[in-house]
Amino acid sequence: MKLVPPDQGMLYYIIENKRPDLAKKIKQSGIIETVVVGLGGQGTRHAELMQQYGTTITAGIAPGRGGTRLLETIPVYDTIAECLKEHPNIAVASVWRHYSTAKDATIEAIEADIPIIILISEGIPLKDVRDILVSARKHKTVLIGGNTPGVIFPPEGIKAGMLPDVFYPEEISPDVFGPKGVTIISRSGAILYHLSDALASVGIAQNAVLGVGGDGAIGSTFRDLVPLAMAYDNTDLVVVAGEIGGCQEELLAEDIKKNPKKYPKPLVALISGAHAPEGKTMGHAGAIVSPGQVYGTFQSKKQALESVGVPVVNSQYDLITEVQKRLKKKIYFDMENYYKKMKTIWDAPSKKTGWGTLITKVMPNNLLISGYSLQDIVEKKGFIETAYLLVKGEFPDKKTAEEMRKIAIDAAKRPAPNVHRSKKEDISKTLVKYFVLDDELAQYPEEGTNGAVKKTVFGIGRTARYLSGILHTEKALEKLSGDEPFSHVIYRAVTGNTMVNEQHSRMIEAMIVACVDHGVTPPSAQATLIAATTRAPYEIAVAQGVGAITDVHGGAGAKAAQLFTECILKSKKENIDVAQATREIMKKYIEEGKRIEGLGHRLHTKDPRRDVLWNFSAQTGIAGEHVQLSKKVSTIFEQVRGMSLPINVDGVIGAIVADMGLDPAMAKAFFIYGRIAGLSAHYFEEIASQPRMRQIHFNEALYKGKGPRNIQ
Amino acid sequence: MKLYESEAKKVFEKMGIPIPKQYGVIRSAKELDALQLKFPLMLKSMVLVGGRGKAGGIKKANNLEEAHKISDVLFKLKIKGFPVDCILLEEAVEETGACYIGITMDPATFNNVIIVSASGGVDIEQVALKNPQAIVRKEISDNNKEISKTIALDLASSLNQSMKGKNECSKILADIISKVYATYQRFDARLCEINPLLITPSGVVAADAKLVLDDNALFRQVELLEMLGITEKRHDVAERTKNELRAQSAGFPYIDLLPQPVTKDQGKLYVGLIPGGAGYGIFSIDEVSTIGHRYFHDQVVPVNFMDSGGGPPQNRVAEMFHLLMDYPVVDLIVTSRFGGISSCDIFIRGMIQAVIERYENGKRMVPIFGRMVGTDLPSARAFLEKAKAENPEALQHVTIYVGNQRIMADVIREGIQKAFEVKGWKP
Repeated sequence: MKLVPPDQGMLYYIIENKRPDLAKKIKQSGIIETVVVGLGGQGTRHAELMQQYGTTITAGIAPGRGGTRLLETIPVYDTIAECLKEHPNIAVASVWRHYSTAKDATIEAIEADIPIIILISEGIPLKDVRDILVSARKHKTVLIGGNTPGVIFPPEGIKAGMLPDVFYPEEISPDVFGPKGVTIISRSGAILYHLSDALASVGIAQNAVLGVGGDGAIGSTFRDLVPLAMAYDNTDLVVVAGEIGGCQEELLAEDIKKNPKKYPKPLVALISGAHAPEGKTMGHAGAIVSPGQVYGTFQSKKQALESVGVPVVNSQYDLITEVQKRLKKKIYFDMENYYKKMKTIWDAPSKKTGWGTLITKVMPNNLLISGYSLQDIVEKKGFIETAYLLVKGEFPDKKTAEEMRKIAIDAAKRPAPNVHRSKKEDISKTLVKYFVLDDELAQYPEEGTNGAVKKTVFGIGRTARYLSGILHTEKALEKLSGDEPFSHVIYRAVTGNTMVNEQHSRMIEAMIVACVDHGVTPPSAQATLIAATTRAPYEIAVAQGVGAITDVHGGAGAKAAQLFTECILKSKKENIDVAQATREIMKKYIEEGKRIEGLGHRLHTKDPRRDVLWNFSAQTGIAGEHVQLSKKVSTIFEQVRGMSLPINVDGVIGAIVADMGLDPAMAKAFFIYGRIAGLSAHYFEEIASQPRMRQIHFNEALYKGKGPRNIQ
Repeated sequence: MKLYESEAKKVFEKMGIPIPKQYGVIRSAKELDALQLKFPLMLKSMVLVGGRGKAGGIKKANNLEEAHKISDVLFKLKIKGFPVDCILLEEAVEETGACYIGITMDPATFNNVIIVSASGGVDIEQVALKNPQAIVRKEISDNNKEISKTIALDLASSLNQSMKGKNECSKILADIISKVYATYQRFDARLCEINPLLITPSGVVAADAKLVLDDNALFRQVELLEMLGITEKRHDVAERTKNELRAQSAGFPYIDLLPQPVTKDQGKLYVGLIPGGAGYGIFSIDEVSTIGHRYFHDQVVPVNFMDSGGGPPQNRVAEMFHLLMDYPVVDLIVTSRFGGISSCDIFIRGMIQAVIERYENGKRMVPIFGRMVGTDLPSARAFLEKAKAENPEALQHVTIYVGNQRIMADVIREGIQKAFEVKGWKP
């Protein structure tokens, strides 16, 4: 069904009434932005339901949780003020805070000039409510509640609060909703379903349902909201659902008498409690506040409203009769269609709960990091900028990039812990030791707005230092001036040379960037995420991911480099064709039951990182016989084995490493190094957007980040 | 939550509002002998309702013997249904005049309002109704902790004038008004009232004290509650019925509509309600009454209010049905489940659990008629159908419509119709 655009509905009308400037911005953007204040169980659950219904939730507010995310994608701020700096067009706040803190949160929203505040919290002390009211009056806020079930606007598909999707709008054609209908304003939530049912049974639509709230003092009463609803063009009739107790209904009647012009449309009142036992609601003090008046009973309300010509009903049947009479039996929608739609909603199997990541979208033969293709990133961006993208979702601006570079270089200059590497020890294990033992990294702060990305960049700087420790190239890092690009730092650590070969330096960085991330499913990412659910420290969670990078996962590059070297050597030694040498070696491998590494991928038939690295190696003049072989190895394998396996990123890196004359182990080191950036991003994302100790169903993850885009 | 006069006076004393000398609170006449008393004194029944004086709950005693006699009478007294468990003993004050001072929240504007009247010591509600000009009210729109001196003095002067008092009395009254207001704000009161405030030769004295606390704010009035020795929330409505106590311990709001114990009128159909949230809880009583009136010659009696909304757990749902089926008058249970944010499934499981349990244990069964729509409807429907197939006997008198094509009023009407048919009555 096509909805009524937000800027043509009642909610917009109310906003325009209160804040014309904000309304203009809504006209431009076409959306009405809502903030959810209070992200406990209820606030979070209903944020999701509101979003599913169609409400645009721009942000969440929870003190102490600034920088985290709501429903995995919505930014959370500590305060409304911080939130409005980023999202100045927020027009609606729904407040779900506990009664003991609801006052401060609500007043904060009022003082920030948000025009519409839906106060869901119940049980707020009356004195606090009065403070809220004093502030709301001063700022001309439309405050609804406390203890309201909320408001819902079916034609626009927007709600704030906990009203379910049962209220049905006008249909102007079989697949287009219209804005007209009856507005229901009610003191109770539970009764609304039955009012809606009754009206729908004769084809009467609801264009808005407003719950005023059940507490002793509330922001808006019938007297405030009925005229507002009647002034909106598309409201044909208003139903107020009152009940015994209080004096809202009597005050409404009084206002109708005094200001009949404010009530130009038909009004029907349903009052509950005609048969309720007496003496439950009337207090001593209440009775003397308005001298000479009696109120609060069913009779007092009925008499008051009837005396100003408002029909008062007390049953579904009479409600239907009175409303139909005043609308001259108008029918707003096809009842069959309505029942069908309701049935579809209720018969729908409960929604599968996937969970979201904003980091990397993994598709066959394509990897998008925050919308940018990895090939593009390898070509155009450095490691630090890419790490920044992974953690923050955007590339850094020039100034920030410079700040990050300095952090990384500073990290690389500081001495590494003393780590002993055993003979033949897997480089991933050695790196784990460094991570676990490094106090510099452990003590580097990660709080604050950019804390996560700074820590990641610092960790990347430290890893360069660890590599230099493993390769005994520390000296090359001690002479850093601080002005060089970070790619030079990596080059020095890997080669021990202080004279930088620019081509090699760029090639190494490109290989590292090619490995930064592959979504949440690789075992290394899973290990880091599981550690993150327990809120393990950063360096421990990353170490667990690194530790999972073994010969089985991510270690193939080194093996591939060895294979290619062996093949080239054999062809030279025996003076035979490279392909021939390769075939023979492969046969031998197969006979010995050894795997041939660097081939095949569970997802990619054409690894997205392949061509960009081959091209890079050609451009930098590095590509030699190993890279040549890597381009043919898939075909050769098919000749030997009879099946086709494409070369993967490990194979390509292995070949380039061999051509560069580096230790084959470096192929794996580059993989790990790159992946540390991705692991960091997953670690911080988990902490920011998910509850602790959650069970992670890895294959239910959904990419919820930015769509495809190009690097500018 | 209402405080007893003796408690409210402790609060007044703390806030510097003069009160008569307090001799103590006794729970039996015997305790009189152990106290240091000065006569004449007042004996005041400690019950949480107004109109104690009129009901004979407040008496003056001139000597110990009289005090004994009076307290014997008072301890046997019931005031508006409340038994007298405690008597407050305090000094009898000599007065030259009396007035009324009260602070509460205006239900129309939600501002605090100060009410003063020279007609103190009488039923102020009656004054308000019959002689409204005898009451002066002042709304305070700022909700600050205290009122300004000007406001207090203005009110005090007008009060003093209408009492024809001496000028210096205004200052004293202004001070009292300020203190009553500060008490009201500081302790999160819904009402803080002195009626009467007595004018004596040596100043003023709060002869009575009334303080109603805001239940929502009790959590932060720990210090006050500790001072008064109150450890749990007091239920200040009339004594709870057996059903109400049972519902309370199971954790759902329930009120009996019929005076207990009930004498059943055999010509009438008694309908129990498990209706959904509180709002529909009230409305469904009206629906049953109206339908009974229109279509069944007023032969239908709703028996209860219940709030079964908010997604109760399965066991609590079962207990709702058990309670009404154990209540001997109930002939029919009408139920409605609207799974908005809560689940139909849990509700239907709870209902079936109760019915099967009762059937298997040979307990009293009551037919159920109702409707369910909303969240988790497919699984609820599947569960119901399976249960009906497996337990056709136990569930033969359970009729639950699925979906909202039939409005609740129709469901109620049909349920009553069927019950009438079973009884052989004519609608």
